[in-house]
Amino acid sequence: MTAGERVAVVGASGAGKSTLLGVLDGTVAPTAGTVEVHGSDPTTLRGRELRRLRARTGTVRQQLDLPGPLRVVHNVNAGRLGSWSAARAAWSLLRPQGAAEVLAALDRVGLADRLHERTDRLSGGQRQRVAVARLLLQRPELVLADEPASALDPALADVVLTLLGALAAEQGGALVAALHDPALALRHCDRVVGLEHGRVVMDAPAASLTVTSLEGFYGVTR
Amino acid sequence: MTTLLDRPVPVAPPLVRDRRRWAWALGALALVGWALAASGLFSGAVLNPGGVAQFGRFASAALRPELAPEFLAVVGESVLVTVAYAVLGGGLAVLLGAAGALAVARTTWGRRRAGRLVVRGVLAVPRGLHEAVWGLLLLNVLGLDPWVGVLAIALPYGAVTATVFAGILDEVPRGGFDALLAAGAGRGTATLYGLLPQATGSLLSYAFYRLECAVRSAVVLGLIGAGGLGYQLSLSFTSLRWEQVWTTVYALAVLCLAAEAAGRAVRRRAADPRAGAGRDPVLAGAVWAVLVLAGWAVWFLALSPATLVSARAREQLGHVLSAAWPPATDRDLLAAVLAAAVDTVLMSVLAIAFAAFGAVALAGLVARPRSAGPVRRIAGGAVRTALLLLRAVPPPVWALVLLFVLLPGVLPGALALGVYTLGVLGRLVGEAVEESDQRPREALRAAGAPPAAAWLYGTVPSLAGPVVALACYRWEVAIRDTVLVGLLGAGGIGVLLSASTASFDWPAVATVLAAIVLLGLAVDLLSERARAALR
Repeated sequence: MTAGERVAVVGASGAGKSTLLGVLDGTVAPTAGTVEVHGSDPTTLRGRELRRLRARTGTVRQQLDLPGPLRVVHNVNAGRLGSWSAARAAWSLLRPQGAAEVLAALDRVGLADRLHERTDRLSGGQRQRVAVARLLLQRPELVLADEPASALDPALADVVLTLLGALAAEQGGALVAALHDPALALRHCDRVVGLEHGRVVMDAPAASLTVTSLEGFYGVTR
Repeated sequence: MTTLLDRPVPVAPPLVRDRRRWAWALGALALVGWALAASGLFSGAVLNPGGVAQFGRFASAALRPELAPEFLAVVGESVLVTVAYAVLGGGLAVLLGAAGALAVARTTWGRRRAGRLVVRGVLAVPRGLHEAVWGLLLLNVLGLDPWVGVLAIALPYGAVTATVFAGILDEVPRGGFDALLAAGAGRGTATLYGLLPQATGSLLSYAFYRLECAVRSAVVLGLIGAGGLGYQLSLSFTSLRWEQVWTTVYALAVLCLAAEAAGRAVRRRAADPRAGAGRDPVLAGAVWAVLVLAGWAVWFLALSPATLVSARAREQLGHVLSAAWPPATDRDLLAAVLAAAVDTVLMSVLAIAFAAFGAVALAGLVARPRSAGPVRRIAGGAVRTALLLLRAVPPPVWALVLLFVLLPGVLPGALALGVYTLGVLGRLVGEAVEESDQRPREALRAAGAPPAAAWLYGTVPSLAGPVVALACYRWEVAIRDTVLVGLLGAGGIGVLLSASTASFDWPAVATVLAAIVLLGLAVDLLSERARAALR
């Protein structure tokens, strides 16, 4: 992948999309082969060096991983924990730090009015946007997104994917998004990688593909 | 700020705090502050420098327990006595609980709420009195008979089990039950075919949890003379034989560990039975093992049902009941009861505050991590063993140990209860951590957050609710345990009960018992409200 690239990963459920993203952000250890992120192999790093590398990669996961009882402001601020001391992190739970930036990030995803809401009181789509807002504050160079628009209506899905692409571009990095919607993949990505049973079976520029050609990955026949 | 966020910031919505939660939190803080101030911690001398040497001798004996074959044989016999009381008391409690559940369940009463409330009210009395209090009362009716130990466990446990069993029956999905009623089946048949099959796992799980608790209660009853490990412990303690004390403590710890491990294994199996038809061999084996053990215990304790219906027992029961009515209402006694009740609340609040603080501080170490280095594993094992020792030793014995270094008063009793509760709460909070969703923490670690911050943002928020609920639940238990500590002389309302029973002042006993039940109910109500507010 090169800087500025936006890559869509497509494939049926169980094809290995989430595993691929997990290997890239270091939550899944590869059983074979090597992985290189930002020029380093995360499996060989420990402690502060690993944390520094990880802070440069941001992920929006399928299952979101946002603690429900925490207010939205804290869940968004959690994107900055990589650069905060433990004391500042603890203090922020009492008096939220950098609330203006949190508010700006939430405004970008249309949730500014939910700043102080408990996260478990939001709908699935709103929580998905909170996860995106968290990423906006983390400012990662490599943006990984696992089904970032699965709970959103088509208009919001476009907003979120545009934001993620812009975030990666601004940091001079790349976006890798696992997507189930071929149209969304072609609209927002420059390159499409197709997976089947854990193997790459296609790697092509988005401009050379059509929605119909991608539907085959999901078993859709016409 | 990134250019993505570089735009006019909208007006922040106002922060609306949940006033109810804040009020409860501030109320709890005020209560703990009051208890600390009233315990004399800040105002007077609480340490007893003279006892440090004795404490040193006691502590150093931990490394050289008594291992003489004769003493080990005595301890072995005591273990059998404790197990026999626990199995019979716990088993009888489950039977009583099953019958009581039918009497108290919403399923039985339907829309007739008044009848159900009356039965619940009646059950609150046996539930509100500690096993040791029952032991003391039964001793005066049945004399020195093994039934005292068995019934002292079975009566309060039976009442608790009835309430819990009824809750389980009322909570299972009622589609099948309603369909059977609609098809003309009676309530009994509909319960048997429509509710019981779905509730069996939870009922079995709770029954084994009660048996596990019965082991600890059997030890406590030993302290008031029922025999077994508790009795051995108090004998060794009063004769200052520290090596023997430690041998007994280790035997207690092993027994508790065995009961907890067996109980946990059966409960896990009951919660998640093997797929497929037919009986689960582990569950069936566990039930058979309890039945065989109960049969052995009847023989071992030489339990005779005739004692319960003997003329002497009936006569004594009639005498006690008629002497106790009407309860004493003289002003001096009521003032003493009120003062003792305040002391009891104070001790229980201090104990829970100490235990909750300790349990949260240790939770990270107690929980078994999925992957960890050898140092972390060893540290975790050491802390778990220490917690096991804390909960294996009954609170009154901790009070005696603490009296080496603290002056008599509320503080040694409160700390003794706190130390014991820390053993229980530490384990429960550790299990809550193990069972909590680890993905938020792992996601934060994957985004470069340091371990402490990831724990704070990823684990603590989801744990706060369950920890507060567990602390509230333990407070309900602690208020009853405070009576036990008092019975053995460490202050609070138990002292009054012990004094009035010793002087056969039955009207005063009735008043104190009523106060204990009311105090327990008040704490139950408060704790239930607090848990609801924090949900």
